[in-house]
This record gives sequence, structure tokens and C-alpha cells, in this order.
Amino acid sequence: MSKLNATDIQGFVLRGYNLPVARYLFLHFESAPRARSLIARLLAHVTTGQRWDGSKPKITVNIAFTHRGLVHLELPDATLLSFPVEFQQGMKHRSEILGDCGVNAPERWEAIWREDRVHAWLGINALTPDALDARCSAMVSDIEETGGAIVLGSQDAAAVVIDGKPTTKEHFGYTDGFGNPDYLGVERSSQPGQGKLMPNGSWAPLATGELLLGYADEAGEIPVGPVPHLLASNGTFMVYRKLHQNVATFRGFLERQAAAYAGGKEKLAAKFIGRWRDGTPIELAPDHPDPSIAQDPNRNTNFTYGADAEGTRCPIGAHIRRVHPRDAFGFNGRLINRRRITRRGLPYGRFAAEGDPVSDTEDRGVIFMALNASISRQFEFVQQQWVQYGNDAHLGNDKDPLMGNHGGHGRFVVQGDLSRANPPLICSHLPDFVELRGGDYFFLPSITALGMIAMGLVDPR
Amino acid sequence: MPNKNGSVYGLTILSPIIDDDKATPSHDLQIRDYLARLSTREDSPFAVAPGTHLARLVVLDDVIYVGMPACEEHLKSKYLIFESNCDGDLDGYLHGLADTIADHLDAIWKHCVGYPGAANRQAFVDYMKACQLNTTFYFAAVNDKSVEETLRALQTKTAVADFIATHQGADPATLQREFIRFAAELKARPIPRPGSMGPLRDIKTGGHNE
Repeated sequence: MSKLNATDIQGFVLRGYNLPVARYLFLHFESAPRARSLIARLLAHVTTGQRWDGSKPKITVNIAFTHRGLVHLELPDATLLSFPVEFQQGMKHRSEILGDCGVNAPERWEAIWREDRVHAWLGINALTPDALDARCSAMVSDIEETGGAIVLGSQDAAAVVIDGKPTTKEHFGYTDGFGNPDYLGVERSSQPGQGKLMPNGSWAPLATGELLLGYADEAGEIPVGPVPHLLASNGTFMVYRKLHQNVATFRGFLERQAAAYAGGKEKLAAKFIGRWRDGTPIELAPDHPDPSIAQDPNRNTNFTYGADAEGTRCPIGAHIRRVHPRDAFGFNGRLINRRRITRRGLPYGRFAAEGDPVSDTEDRGVIFMALNASISRQFEFVQQQWVQYGNDAHLGNDKDPLMGNHGGHGRFVVQGDLSRANPPLICSHLPDFVELRGGDYFFLPSITALGMIAMGLVDPR
Repeated sequence: MPNKNGSVYGLTILSPIIDDDKATPSHDLQIRDYLARLSTREDSPFAVAPGTHLARLVVLDDVIYVGMPACEEHLKSKYLIFESNCDGDLDGYLHGLADTIADHLDAIWKHCVGYPGAANRQAFVDYMKACQLNTTFYFAAVNDKSVEETLRALQTKTAVADFIATHQGADPATLQREFIRFAAELKARPIPRPGSMGPLRDIKTGGHNE
């Protein structure tokens, strides 16, 4: 495997667009022939993975389908039944497996996600709000003209703007988006720490089949995908989750815990996630943020935890140490390399700067989108075992401090040492900092597969 | 040396299930039905009986060769497989089972060929040993501690973590006073019941996280 056919892969799969505004339209199909002609019309606008070579587009369009959507597009039964079980079931049905209970339970989701009516996701990213509005209204007219779908609703998302510049900050104030893996064949400026750790300490790209269907994965197997192979190949699965952030709860909790923590509030905030709020890995800079590390691609993801087995620099339960344990489990990474996901996503809602008044009820959070070849092996495993449980990290029943579904009973241990500035701390009665408001599992087909769907050419024989 | 690893014993028992085409439902299904209703928490027979770290009961219908080219092989009988990682010597363990969960044993093994019943103690022990296979490789993640020691350690870990969480920042004199009181109180606590310390989780884990 040397080079992927990037023009056959949706661009959203191969790269984060780094465009500051986005709108996600949720479509419902009523008639299969009309829906197919709509897809045929959209096909010309879908952004592929082709290199931009300096002329970055001002707007991108991508499309993905729920299993229900593919049923309504009248794909052959033999094809529909060949999709992985978790995709057929959809995210709502998987709530017990994911720990989506309590405040995260489907009964509490937004109506659009409770009603099982979403058939397709149309993702539009743009450089400016005006470009976004113009493209979306043109698209909605297309949709109405063809009668191909009903627009059930939409979700706006945008990079947090600080001092007039779009940033990669999220609402709790952390700089986000460091941890995406490298894959074989995917052209992008790779950096150490983003693929898999090799025995000699270097980092190598993960097998293509961890991201894309139709290629060998880390076990040397072709991931489970639908038949025919041509429908699956160059496609992937997307997990869409709308995560509301209780910013007032977070700030209040941090403030109260910091009062009893000699390391100070910012250090405690860094201990929660494993990075200072500017993105500096606490593993590399345990005492203070260091912009020269945070902004250096050769350093900001280039670290391991082997020399910090006690977690005195980066707590063992810190978010980034849980979801990407790097060298933590031994066996040359074999327990980790098949559990990696690629994250896309943007915050939504108004950003409240530190010190501005905030309330939990204000609509703000992050649209979390994860891409992986196997939702059950990758996303669901990470969510169930590493976010909502602690056994693999030797943390008993503790959950991820920020993402965990704590219900007021969570605990987070900050390991410390004997120095005054780095004491241990046990945070108890963790509330729910993040609440799930809905989402679903989607199939993001290749350009060829989109054409097959549009022209009714999907033939499993 | 099979079966023993430090103080932990790995027990494997294969008991042939009665093949009676007049029995409805069949004996293997009757075992499956009984097993499916057993608790996996404090009320599990293996939590009630002493000395079990973990145990598993499986009905083995037949062998299925998965591969190419397929070759067809069959067992002479259906078997009940009983696997247990337990404390101490085998005789003591089997007697402990017969002392505490004879009804469960009889309800399960009465469907097996030649089972004498737990009331006939020597015959029961002889029967189980006659069905035993050597165990050469088994899961023994218990640090060579007995079930009671393990439960006590878990209890201590949880209690100490709670103590630390509620006494952070206390002045040394208070901390010492409280800790002495706590340590005495902890020592006096009864050992928790087996099966009582896991989290209450609805999640069923498995190959596909199902």
C-alpha cells in the first residue's frame, strides 16, 4: 500500500478542514428515487480528499447516511444486512453499552435524535458565515426542488473566536485537536506522537484499515464492511455526538477544588486533561505552560508515560492519558493501536471568556465527530472501557474526569509527589461536566459508492 | 505441576450429560435453563460457598471446526464443563461446596451421567475427581491471596481512598487521631460478602461489547 486514491475518498475523512464555521443539515428521505436524484445532484459538490496545493476551497460539502437512511434509499437487503451490527442498530440502541444513561439517556436527547428520523448528515464547512449561508440556502433550494429530502433540522458550529481570530479552544478553555492519528497512505504533515509507537521509540502511521474500509487494519484484516466491496472500500463510519458542556459547573468545581490544592487552579485544570489550557502537555512541562512546546509540532504530541508510571506529572486518569495511553499497556502497543479514532468537530454556542458570567443552561458544547473503520472495536470500546470505566488504567471504577457520566459520584485522583507545588489531591463527588444531547452512527461512503447509491447500482451479488 | 499455582487451585471438571431422547426438554437444555437463572452477584452459589475466586459453568454441545476445508468431528456426549479458580486443596473445596450449596449442585449435576448426589459425600468427591482434567494454564490474577484476603484488601483500598478523600488538608494532629480511630473501626468491620464489591453495571461486555 503506497498511496490512496484521494479523489475517491471524501475530504472530511482525510483531513480536518480547519475552516472556522460549519453547518450540519439533517435530512429525511421520503421517496427513494427522488432521494437518489438529490444525491446525484449533490455528488458534483462533494469535497474529495484531493490535495489543495495552495488553493484551499472556501467551502466544503460532505455527506453520510444512517442505516435507516440506506434502508430508505432502498439498497438491497443483502447489502443492508451486511453492515456491522452496531451501525444497523444506531447509537440510541447502543446507549447501555456506551454508558449513555442518567442525564445522557436517549429520553433526554433533543427531539431530532429521539425520533429515529435522521437519514443523512450533510456537513458544510466554510471560511465565512456569509459563504456558509449562501451555500446552505442554495443547497436547501436544491433539496426542495428535487423533493429529495426534508430538512429536519440543522446544527451550527464554529471555531471559538478570540481577539478576532478563530482558535482551536473549546468552552472549558482548553486548546483542543492535538491527538489525531496518522495512517499509512494519508498525505498530511505528520508529527511524532500521532501514529503508533514502535519498539525503537519512533512513531509510525497506523494501518490504513483502522480508518478506511477496504484496507488491511492493524491485525492484517480487512475491516468488516458491507457488500459489495466497492460500496465499502474508501468509506468509513462516523460517530456524531452533540455534547453539551456545563461550563458554570466546571468553573465552580475547579474553583472549589483549587482552593484546597497548593499547585494552583491552572495546574489542577491541566491535571484534569493532561494538557495546560494552551495545549502544552503536562507530561513534558509539569510546572507551567510552555508555548514553545505547545506550538511545536515536533514536541506537542511527542511524549510517552513510561517515565511517569506513578502519574505524578500527568495523572493516570487524565483525559488524554486515558483515551490515548501511548506506551502504557506494553505488548508493543497491540492493546492500543486498534482502539484509535480520528476526531473531527467544532464547538457550538457562544464562547464565554474566563470571568464572564456563565450558566449551564446556555446552549454551548462541542459537536464530536469520530471516524473509524469499526465503531464497536474503536469508538465504543474507548467510550465504554477508557472513558466510562477505569480498570485498564488500574483505576477501579473511576471514569474520565471530564467526559465521564458521574452523576455526582465521580472521583478523580491527582497523583502527586513530596514537593509543595505538586501535592496529591482526590477530587470527589464529580458532577456531569458534559451531557449528551443526541447523535447517531453514520456511514461515509466513497465518491464511487455515492455514485452507486445515486444511480441505484448497489448490487451485492 | 498442573492445577496448582501458589495457593490457588485451577479446577476443570467435565461431566457427560445424560443423553435421553425421551427427556423433554433434554437434560442439556434443563441445565442451560438453570444456569441462565443463577445470580452473578452475592447470591451466586459460588459466592455462597467458600473459596471461589471465579467460576464458570458451560454446556458443551459438540465441537465445531471453523476453517477450510471443514472436517467433521463429534464428541461422544454433551458435557457440562465446570471451571473454578479456588483456594486451597481440592478435597476441602469440594467438601465446602457440598456443605453449602448441595441443592444447586444436585439441581445441575443430576442431569449428568453417574452423578451420586451431594448427600453421599465420599461418592460425590470421588465422582468430581473422576471427572477432573488436569488444568495446565489458567487465569490467576489474585496475587496468591485467598478469597478472604482479596476481599479484605478491596475493602481496605476503598475505605482508605474514602478516608483520604474526606481528610485532605486536615492538620497532622487531627489526621493522626482520625486515622487511628478509622484503622480500629476498619479492622472491626466484617469481611464483605463475595460478589458484593463489583460496580452495579448493566453493561454486558463481550466480543462485540454486547
